[in-house]
Amino acid sequence: MAAVIEFQHVTKIYKRMFSEEKLAALSDLSFEMAPGQVCAFLGPNGAGKTTSISMLMGFFFPTSGEIRVFGKPPGDLAAKEQIGFLPENFAFHKFLTAPKLLRFHLQLAGRNPAGTGTLIPDLLHKVKLNGYENLKIGKYSRGMVQRIGIAQALLCAPKLIVLDEPTSGLDPAGRREVLQLLTQLKAEGKTIFLSSHILPEVEQITDHVIIINRGKMVRSGSLRDLLASGGQVEIIADRVPDELRQSTLQGAAIEPVQQGVRVLVEPARKRETVEALWAAGCDVIAMTPQRNTLEDLFLKEVDQPGGKA
Amino acid sequence: MIKVRAIALNTFSSLLRNKIVILFCAACLCVLLLMLASLLTLRNMRGTQNAEMMQMAVLPLIASMMTLVSGFGSLLAAWSAADAVAGEMKSGTVLAVLARPVSRWEFLLGKFLGVQLMMFVFVLLMLGLNYLLAWIGGATIETTPWVLIVYPMVRYMIYSALGILLVTVMHPIVAFCIALVMMIAAGLVAPGNPQTFMPQWLRTGLFYVLPSSNLLSETRFLTITRATLRAALWTDHATALVYGVNYALVCLLLAACIFRSRSLSRD
Repeated sequence: MAAVIEFQHVTKIYKRMFSEEKLAALSDLSFEMAPGQVCAFLGPNGAGKTTSISMLMGFFFPTSGEIRVFGKPPGDLAAKEQIGFLPENFAFHKFLTAPKLLRFHLQLAGRNPAGTGTLIPDLLHKVKLNGYENLKIGKYSRGMVQRIGIAQALLCAPKLIVLDEPTSGLDPAGRREVLQLLTQLKAEGKTIFLSSHILPEVEQITDHVIIINRGKMVRSGSLRDLLASGGQVEIIADRVPDELRQSTLQGAAIEPVQQGVRVLVEPARKRETVEALWAAGCDVIAMTPQRNTLEDLFLKEVDQPGGKA
Repeated sequence: MIKVRAIALNTFSSLLRNKIVILFCAACLCVLLLMLASLLTLRNMRGTQNAEMMQMAVLPLIASMMTLVSGFGSLLAAWSAADAVAGEMKSGTVLAVLARPVSRWEFLLGKFLGVQLMMFVFVLLMLGLNYLLAWIGGATIETTPWVLIVYPMVRYMIYSALGILLVTVMHPIVAFCIALVMMIAAGLVAPGNPQTFMPQWLRTGLFYVLPSSNLLSETRFLTITRATLRAALWTDHATALVYGVNYALVCLLLAACIFRSRSLSRD
């Protein structure tokens, strides 16, 4: 199946005008996204997420490399017809009301708003903005602006939805609603390319994760594989003798807890560790496989010293 | 076409709410009201002065008003066009618009047409005021109104296209200042202007490069003190108007070429 988004060795270098100073926002970034996937595009601030999304939408141009969206170059009208886009800190014409804004965007998509029936009222209901039809967007709260942004992104039943920080500015209830909406879109088979800092929520809906840092890809893969690969086993023992700390358990994370001592080891070393503890006369109280979270994975990848962080 | 029309109407609505545009129009209106006040004072003196003097006063007043409005209008067109594009870039609304299946040239054309729509309303209002002033002064403007509509519109087309061209590469205030300097320079190098401080080679060069305000002045075809249309061949009109439209289109095409490769971000 053809990829919806393809980045092939994409590099973006910003140059200051009248200066030799250069800043590499992206370096040799390559990835693909299959149809129907929900892909989380993660990275710390300044990692190059918004630059990548801007290039994907055809707002910026790569210094080298190639980007394809639905097999076409970014900015191609046929490709843009299939994309719904919510930029970070979305801005609207403040003098418009929500229905007028959506009608304007329908016209920009080349459609006549007169023939769309209940599309606009339904969308406003979907993002819980019904009842505010006569209020100008300039008077909306940050959360309401974000909701109307999501409504316009869904306006023309796009196949690909690109969301840059969709939950930015929303309260916890608003974030949960957006999450429910994204879950619903995922169930409808939409392809979603999502950038967000709220990782526990992203983890609930995403299939595929791409983590970038300082313009370089640091990790990519299916969420299940990535989380499974980094899992550890938690062993609670009543005590850990010093000689074990220096030998078998060297390098393992050991910390005192209420019941005794907690030891975190790789799954491959769990048997060896438990046997060593028993042999030393310790009582093993519990042994629990620890599941990695996306947040753990993200922090591990971006906090690593040297090349990655 | 539906996309360009939507952008044009949205630009028009946006310009009607633009504070600087409102300030421009308010300043223009203030000057006109001052003129109207002087005219009404003259009218009240009719008892002591004869009607002929009144009529002699009103037509030069209209002539000076037309010059003023024309200058104001060109500046308004340049600023509105520059601000219409730069405002979308600054606020970030351009990202939402261009994320839709809209070409960059369609965006610029929509902006340009939106400005023309506003300038058309401006021209109609000013034309109405001219007729009102003439009526108050007891004079009549004996000319076909199309000259008073089409010529200013073509001039405004040039300055708005120029504004759009300049703002694709620079800040709107700088773009506006350059348009202002070009307007003044175009007036200085006009054939009838006797100024001598500029060397002839520069004067000739600028005359060819800058928009010819002289050629596109409706006063070329009006004997304004009599308010009648001078006899002019239709080829004269056609040449002047084609020159103006062509100048605007070249500016707009250059703007589209530059804008096509410009990075778009929230400024």
